[in-house]
Amino acid sequence: MWTFIVRRLLQSVIVILGVTLISFIALQIGGDPTYLFVSERATDEEIAMVRRALGFDQPLHIQYLTYLGNVAQGDFGNSLSYRQPAMEIVLGALPATIELTIFAMLFAIVLAIPFGVFAALYRGTAVDGSIMTMAMFGQSVPNFWLGIMMILFFGLYLGWLPISGHVPFLMPLLRGDFVTAFTNLPQTIYYLILPGVAVAFYSLSRNARLVRSSMLEVLGQDYVRTARSKGISEYAVITHHALRNAWLPVVTMIGLEFGFLLGGVVVIETVFSYPGIGRLVFNAINQRDIPLVQASVIVLSVIFIVLNLVVDLVYARIDPRVKL
Amino acid sequence: MTDMASDGLTTLSPQRESNFRRELKRAVRSMVAAKWPVLALVVLGAVLIVAIFGPLLAPLDPNRQNIMLRLAEPMAEGPRGATFWLGSDALGRDVLSRLLYGARISLLVGVCAIFVGGAIGTVAGLVAGYFGGRIDDVFMRLGDIQLAFPFILLAIMFLVVLGPGVVNLILVLGIGQWVTYARIVRAQTLSLREKEFVEAARALGDSTTSIIFRTILPNIVAPLTVIASFNVASVILAEAALSFLGLGVPPEVPTWGSMLAESREQLIANKWWLAVFPGLAIVLTVLSFNIIGDWLRDFLDPRLKERG
Amino acid sequence: MRRLGTLAAAGATGLLLCSTALAQQPDENTLVVGLSADITTFEPANISSRDNSNIARHIFGTLYTISGDGDVQPDLAEDLQISDDGLAYVYTLREGLTCHDGEALTAEDAAYSFNRAADPANNFTGNTPGFVFSSIGFDSAEALDEQRVQINIERKNPIAFGLIAEVFIHCKDSYEAMSLDEASANPIGSGPYRLASWDRGSQVVLEKVDDPNSPANMERIVWRIIPEASTRTAELIAGNVDIITNVAPDQIDAINNSGGAEVQAVQGTRRMYVGFNLSDEFAQMPGGDAIQDPAVRRALQYAVDVPSICKQLLNFECERMTGIVNPPNAHPDIEPYPYDPETAERLLDEAGWPRGEDGVRFEIRLQAGQGRYLNDRNVVLAIAQYLEDVGLDVEVDIMEWASVYIPLIRQRAAGPLYFIGSGGALWSPLYDMTDLARVDSGTNYTHWDDPRWFDRWEDIANAETEEETRQIVNEMLEVFYEDGPWLHLYFQPDFYGVSDRVDFEARPDEKVYLFDTGLN
Repeated sequence: MWTFIVRRLLQSVIVILGVTLISFIALQIGGDPTYLFVSERATDEEIAMVRRALGFDQPLHIQYLTYLGNVAQGDFGNSLSYRQPAMEIVLGALPATIELTIFAMLFAIVLAIPFGVFAALYRGTAVDGSIMTMAMFGQSVPNFWLGIMMILFFGLYLGWLPISGHVPFLMPLLRGDFVTAFTNLPQTIYYLILPGVAVAFYSLSRNARLVRSSMLEVLGQDYVRTARSKGISEYAVITHHALRNAWLPVVTMIGLEFGFLLGGVVVIETVFSYPGIGRLVFNAINQRDIPLVQASVIVLSVIFIVLNLVVDLVYARIDPRVKL
Repeated sequence: MTDMASDGLTTLSPQRESNFRRELKRAVRSMVAAKWPVLALVVLGAVLIVAIFGPLLAPLDPNRQNIMLRLAEPMAEGPRGATFWLGSDALGRDVLSRLLYGARISLLVGVCAIFVGGAIGTVAGLVAGYFGGRIDDVFMRLGDIQLAFPFILLAIMFLVVLGPGVVNLILVLGIGQWVTYARIVRAQTLSLREKEFVEAARALGDSTTSIIFRTILPNIVAPLTVIASFNVASVILAEAALSFLGLGVPPEVPTWGSMLAESREQLIANKWWLAVFPGLAIVLTVLSFNIIGDWLRDFLDPRLKERG
Repeated sequence: MRRLGTLAAAGATGLLLCSTALAQQPDENTLVVGLSADITTFEPANISSRDNSNIARHIFGTLYTISGDGDVQPDLAEDLQISDDGLAYVYTLREGLTCHDGEALTAEDAAYSFNRAADPANNFTGNTPGFVFSSIGFDSAEALDEQRVQINIERKNPIAFGLIAEVFIHCKDSYEAMSLDEASANPIGSGPYRLASWDRGSQVVLEKVDDPNSPANMERIVWRIIPEASTRTAELIAGNVDIITNVAPDQIDAINNSGGAEVQAVQGTRRMYVGFNLSDEFAQMPGGDAIQDPAVRRALQYAVDVPSICKQLLNFECERMTGIVNPPNAHPDIEPYPYDPETAERLLDEAGWPRGEDGVRFEIRLQAGQGRYLNDRNVVLAIAQYLEDVGLDVEVDIMEWASVYIPLIRQRAAGPLYFIGSGGALWSPLYDMTDLARVDSGTNYTHWDDPRWFDRWEDIANAETEEETRQIVNEMLEVFYEDGPWLHLYFQPDFYGVSDRVDFEARPDEKVYLFDTGLN
């Protein structure tokens, strides 16, 4: 197993190099970003000076190699628009997004299981029908639209939930300020409900359907029939036998799920003016703030890789058929 | 985990082709029995007809603005005695006409993106699976790189730089999909490579290209169609999300996604028709693709059918 | 299943209870403002966006200040003497000014603020070094004594004092002790507010400085970043935000009908226009050749129904601009071009661009950025439609604002037609005209080179009296009206959504200063 982990980590280095190279090239082919950082009355000399100061006068491969060299020394460069260390800004925006993603993941996975199980147990009834209709709908509706509708309905019309914003929990926690963190916690959750649901709705729907079909599959298997015939209670059959096997495909999804949810986060953070990394990186791309984009992309990739590794390890634990 | 994902998709033997008629009959029967797929097929058929004949059906020029008649309600009177059956948008363009024209672009973007992604992914998967070794490693690492990178970021990056456009959109959405196909095709190829009929073809001296594309590929088509039908749905949604971020198609090209994205400022002002009609079009189409995908998977997977 | 139902019911009840307990509405000491754009820095010499500068202005004082009506008023300084040659400006500071770090604010701090911003080693690119200094030809600043600071400029400039009024004065001791990185997040000024907290991408909180003479009213001002227009409007209607900027025109009625807030519409000073790029490069392009002819440009002025665009797409009754200068200083006798498509068609025929068999006179590209100006995307599309109505085949090219369109504009390479707005002012016609100060000015995106305009700047510099200057200005504006490089549109209105809770009066110059804003 250790060789597996070491091999995966070595591969990750290549993956991250590839990811930074791609984003570097993508942002550079659009032309010289210098013009974003000079005033409209700047003379040609001033423009040339700024270009030199930003390092854009160097050939591309030199710029990239210089960047890699700096990264190797832990220097991710300064954000061009904020003029502060890029990594600091990214790590500052990360906790909010992690809160949102975890919350969404909870929705997407924890709620999917009961929904899927009920739909499977009551196959063909109205329960199944309504759950599956909701799930189908959830997989067909764009998340930004859902977000705006929820703001108007739950936020404005009913006034039950906050419309936008964010109350930090992880940030004070990481700073060691436990009092603030836990005083904030109810507020944090309260502010997370709408954006969390908007981000998670698609995944929740998909997972519910996934759980349902794998549950149906498991319920048809011999060992469940055997267990039933032995007179074990239905509850025990479901929890001990069926459920344990039914959520395997969901666990597989967790790694991919994270990447998928992050995709939704870019849009939803804009709708709910949520100060996370999705909006940060979208703005950074728009501003061609290359160091900031690079730092975000590295952070996101690392999280993604580590998460997938963990998922594979967990999977190996719960499914004896898989060997690493 | 890749192998697990494709586990449920079993391939059929090459004799399948000779049994084509019987298979088809079986498919129709299974479809009718399941009811919903028939309805989905009808919806998709209608969408296809609209996509082809939309320009003939559209009562007005979809790009003709009339800002004096903007935000007209459904059934309101339009320019020169015409009627805005489904209302007009923020520039006074006819929603119905845009919807009809939009069917073509939305479907085109969805289907073409799948073809691009499917083609790249299939070739990569076949080559990686058949040859293995170094080539396999390269393709799979490339796949890892892409998967380690939230797709939307890649799409935003390229569209910001390349600018909006139907072709750019198709390329970006297509490239975003290839890994899924590559992984599944590779897994299938790996198992097929050792099968008797492939060995037989090899023994008969068929060229490698012929084995890959004539012998192996036909046996992978079934699982591919299942993924493709689910994928059209997610591509249509991705197009809507990109439109929301201002990175979709150019303004003179109507798509359902961009229409829905344009409606976002009007929701709070109760201009419901701007969101409801394109929204309905998207939901119905995506739903139909999902239902067909479900049915196809069940139909092609004997294990699940047994239980049915 | 019953157990789950109970749980769900309990959850829902809990949620409802929480929503009353957790709901956050601003208290009576706090003012909450919803902005559309993010704030990037508090480094005084790097601030360039309007929103950013609006917040910073509460922290930093300026020597003089310009009121909403365009009057110049003292702020940190109480007196100004200009040397006879017009190259030295001596400001006398008020006594008893204090910085947030506790030090006294003296002429030394003021001189430092100017020289620090100009120091090339700092690589600053904000409004002060990038716009003010290059416009006035800033040379140096020096403290004459405790209270008096002298600003030296390279050439005589009739609007220099107005531009100098935009420079943020900050405090030397604190800034010398900070690195540039630190300075960008730790503003130390002498304004009535100080920065209490800044959550990037989320909110900026300002706190009133303890001072019995403080002109400030509210204890705290919270500036929230809410990029999505619908979300901003929803927050205002729900009562969680007191003032929002950039209300989407189609959401005005929703706010006015909500019963708790109202939209204030003000005629802004930003000049929106479609530029004709007359560079040699574009003269080779389709349509670029046609617009070289002033008669074609004049014809197109008649083709666009500007008042209807305003009314329909901006929800505002506006008068079409007559030129580059804002109304109070515009040419008194020029009437805006009317909407008259027949005249436009006739003039185009006469200019030698008749309709072809397909009804098209010539093709032309119209470039624009999106998401920057009020309803910009739709305005551009509507203009294209009007031009097509008189026989042009317009290719609309709408780009991402910051990363694609701005570099193009800055290289003066957008066109042949391009849509943009240029910030203006009420206090001097010359300020507005400075966009076209020289043929090679960075802001002359059109490459217009008519000597009847550009040769007159020297006359203005040599003019002895106000009247003489005004006469020259009027003659220039006539040339601009007849043969100029702009298709005249409108002065952009600004919409502020204001809760009934606060007494806020919007200004026409996009400045949101909340010193004397209070509760009703």
